[in-house]
Amino acid sequence: MLLRLLLIFYLLPLNPLPAADAVDIDEQTRSIAQELRCVVCQNLSVADSPSEMAQQMRGVIREQLQAGKTSQEVKDFFVSKYGEWVLLSPTTKGFSLLVWVLPFAVLVLGFGLALWLLRRWSANKTKPVGSPANSELLTRVRNDASTSEALAINPEDSSPHGELRQERARLYTELKELAFDYEAGKLAESDYATLKLDIENKAAEVLQRLDSLPSRRTSARRTTERAPSAAKRTPSEKNKRSYRGWQLATGGAFLLLFGLTLGIALTNSLRPRESAQDSITGGFLTGTGESGSTQFLQEGKSAFAKQDWPKAIEAFKRALAADPNQPEAHAYMGFILLQAGHADGALLAFDKALSQAPNFPMALWGKGMVLLRDKQDYSGARLVLGRLVQLLPSGAERSEVEKTIKEIPPAEGKPGPQVSAAAPSGQQIIGRISIDPKLKSNVDSQATLFIIARSDATKGPPLAVKKIDRPVFPVAYSLGPENVMMQGIPFTGRVSITARLDIDGNPTTRQPGDLTGDYKKNPVAVGSKNIDIVLDQVVQ
Amino acid sequence: MAWRRLLITVLLIAPVIWLLAFGFTRDARYITSPLLAKEAAPFTVTLFDGRKISLNDLRSKAVFLNFWASWCTPCRAEAKDLEAAWQQVKDKNMVFLGVALQDTEKDSRAFLQEFNISYPNGRDETGKIAVDYGVWGIPESFFIDPQGRITYKHVGGIRATLVNAKLEEAARGIVSAKEGKEDYQPIR
Repeated sequence: MLLRLLLIFYLLPLNPLPAADAVDIDEQTRSIAQELRCVVCQNLSVADSPSEMAQQMRGVIREQLQAGKTSQEVKDFFVSKYGEWVLLSPTTKGFSLLVWVLPFAVLVLGFGLALWLLRRWSANKTKPVGSPANSELLTRVRNDASTSEALAINPEDSSPHGELRQERARLYTELKELAFDYEAGKLAESDYATLKLDIENKAAEVLQRLDSLPSRRTSARRTTERAPSAAKRTPSEKNKRSYRGWQLATGGAFLLLFGLTLGIALTNSLRPRESAQDSITGGFLTGTGESGSTQFLQEGKSAFAKQDWPKAIEAFKRALAADPNQPEAHAYMGFILLQAGHADGALLAFDKALSQAPNFPMALWGKGMVLLRDKQDYSGARLVLGRLVQLLPSGAERSEVEKTIKEIPPAEGKPGPQVSAAAPSGQQIIGRISIDPKLKSNVDSQATLFIIARSDATKGPPLAVKKIDRPVFPVAYSLGPENVMMQGIPFTGRVSITARLDIDGNPTTRQPGDLTGDYKKNPVAVGSKNIDIVLDQVVQ
Repeated sequence: MAWRRLLITVLLIAPVIWLLAFGFTRDARYITSPLLAKEAAPFTVTLFDGRKISLNDLRSKAVFLNFWASWCTPCRAEAKDLEAAWQQVKDKNMVFLGVALQDTEKDSRAFLQEFNISYPNGRDETGKIAVDYGVWGIPESFFIDPQGRITYKHVGGIRATLVNAKLEEAARGIVSAKEGKEDYQPIR
């Protein structure tokens, strides 16, 4: 029996435990992930987010749990990397405490305010307006109300006595009318009693004030002193009314302004989600909204189709002013510049387009053509057009690009058909420029390559210069009459060829770090081929 | 009495306006890093040339750590600048280290080839290094001083001049008060 028990005790934990552990870790991972905010989405937990980052974060949670860390330690780890922002439930310490306390505080305050307003309103409804007068005064009011003496007034008497008597007469008349209405059955008994008491209280108050005034004689003496204060009261009441008017107007204007601001801000700051992980906030306030470049882009494209270059340039410039990262506008500008013969500017425009949209076919095609036809950078052209082929679906366009790639001369510096189209091969110097392997690390990717031909006879300023921006080595080049510096001077005879990779791109200056190289068998005759140069010197 | 009412109204409405202004004018995605002046998390990454590099091996050097991906547009925009900056400091006691994130090896290699990147680069295959550095948008760059402390963080594309300036500061152990921000792309 003992042996059996021992056997059961020994065997039991062997199988179920690992499975239970796995389930436990899964549950813990999910529980922690639910408390953490996905760092790339909006208001989704790491558990709910389908993003790659959330998956990786779940992996990190699991790994840390498997390493024996507690849930709190795992959460602390994420807080140490992303701050408390990463917690979906903020902590109850420091500034975050406000998030917990403030809603309840506002709720309590609001409730208190509502209660206070309600009580005030209900008190106003039930309480007689005047303060309860003592019974003696009320008896006087009830006795006086029926006497005609109390109703006799002098409407031109503006003294305090006169004003109070007028008020007393008005209240007594009100009492009579009230009694008449009640007798006529227009009022319920309870309402009659309440209203009657209210008016009697007011009348008692007036009587009290009349009693407290000095006798008419004394009063007459003081009338001249009091008159200004009475006169003052009227403008002050007027001021009060006008102030209330201003208050209402200011409140209205403020509400209108608030509504307009909110309306404009909301409509400009919200946008449709572009993806499940996208945010609906954006626009002019956060600088992430769509710009008005689309309209200018359309105008530019339409002008481009009609070959109205000035209008197209203007429209694309405006599109780029609205959105400097608009790749299509950059690409179109590239084609316009190419059309105008500005190959360098065109290349820059295509590069800008590709920096925003690396797989933008139009910019790839443009860049490939500039490299091929204007820069004779055959390897670069092949690379760019090769990328374009990978992107294009099968069809006429793809076949055209493939055909162009096939026509690219090999990078070894053999003259391509484009070169011979520019000038007869007899007027060209053709070759290749490479970098000394020892200096490869010195190459600045932003530098400009200048290939310079100097007349062997004059040894003066350069006869012809070719500029290649950001070359990809080895570079095949051709130098011909089109590169001559001064118009009218023939590109003939024997010339010395040198090359310089210039860091600042300024052909007139040499600075430390520039790489230079000469053709080893200078001078050469115009029309020579295979004039290969190795950049093997560094300017000190 | 009236001015008191006005004051109460303003006091009630002002926080609401402040809250709205705050919400509308801030970038909802932006996460301020708590890592400035903290010790950089150690890691080891396999470079594209097969070598392995560990951050601990780079102690005593100022390190520029850049997280990037080939699909990230601002990363493409800064790539040439980073290589230019590297060319200027590579003979000094400074190291550049690129870490590709959420990217395939093929695409990463093509990116490095396209921009002639010559400084060491590796891949964060599991995303663990990215989490260790609190990465949420790319490119993200960290500057680490010779003692292994993060001195500056920059979210988004960075210029060569800023890289060199911040590396000089890192070499001297100067910690920036604030992190930098330019155009960035959220990671996936």
